[in-house]
Amino acid sequence: MHTLCIEGRVPDVLLTVEHDPVFTRGRTARATEYLVPADEVDRAAIPVVDVERGGDMTYHGPGQLVAYPIVDLRRHGRDVKQYVRALEEAAIATLRTYGVDANRRPGFPGVWVREGKIASIGIYVKGWVTRHGLALNVDADSAHLGMIHPCGLPVKAVSLCAIAARPVALSEVEDRFAADLADLLGWRLERRTLADLEGRVCV
Amino acid sequence: MKQATTEVLLPDLGEIEDALVVGWLRRVGDVVKEGDDLVEVETEKTTFVVPAPASGRLTHIAAAEGKRVQVGGRLGDITRE
Repeated sequence: MHTLCIEGRVPDVLLTVEHDPVFTRGRTARATEYLVPADEVDRAAIPVVDVERGGDMTYHGPGQLVAYPIVDLRRHGRDVKQYVRALEEAAIATLRTYGVDANRRPGFPGVWVREGKIASIGIYVKGWVTRHGLALNVDADSAHLGMIHPCGLPVKAVSLCAIAARPVALSEVEDRFAADLADLLGWRLERRTLADLEGRVCV
Repeated sequence: MKQATTEVLLPDLGEIEDALVVGWLRRVGDVVKEGDDLVEVETEKTTFVVPAPASGRLTHIAAAEGKRVQVGGRLGDITRE
């Protein structure tokens, strides 16, 4: 999909997924440090995977909206920082609809609430087309989140449901985030299944 | 023999002043083609792959892994033999 986008054969695409528990380490990750005893980490048996995106170690798992936009930045001003800001602003707008006041912190990409970090960002850009993206904690396992410092920072990772103190459906957050990102990037959204896309790009 | 050297510069990535070199994908002495993935830099939690600006041999690395480079700054040289 990324290659097809570089070649200009598909429009920008937003993939949304929910991962099984995994720790991923970006290009500039330092030595892994767990905040809980080793036997607890062993019991959880969460794999650690090195990935190409920027940034340090982060957690992905059920109850987390993981958005992987494949965006041709040649159509969006060739500005990496502006793109990161669009992802942050989309998550902030989404959180606002749940009454959660979130913001950006200059120098610390991601989305923050008073209680800690609620969304992490890590991007990879090749041929001006993006891979990887943003992970927003909706109702993630707090024990898993608490095993590491998100992105190597001495802060707490928190979830939307805990902050809003009510259950929120991941699929609903996914739809809102897609709409909010579409507004910011000037997209007209069309929902497609992976099968639809494969049918389209193979002709 | 005429040699033409092309400097590999950190491209303009938008509202960004500098980036950290996180890894060279090719070594000094390697033959590269224009557009090949050459070096990865990181800024704003983003890994950006800088392509080779010309075809030739990578003859010099000016900014090794771990170095910060300004936009427009020199990362290395490609020489066409």
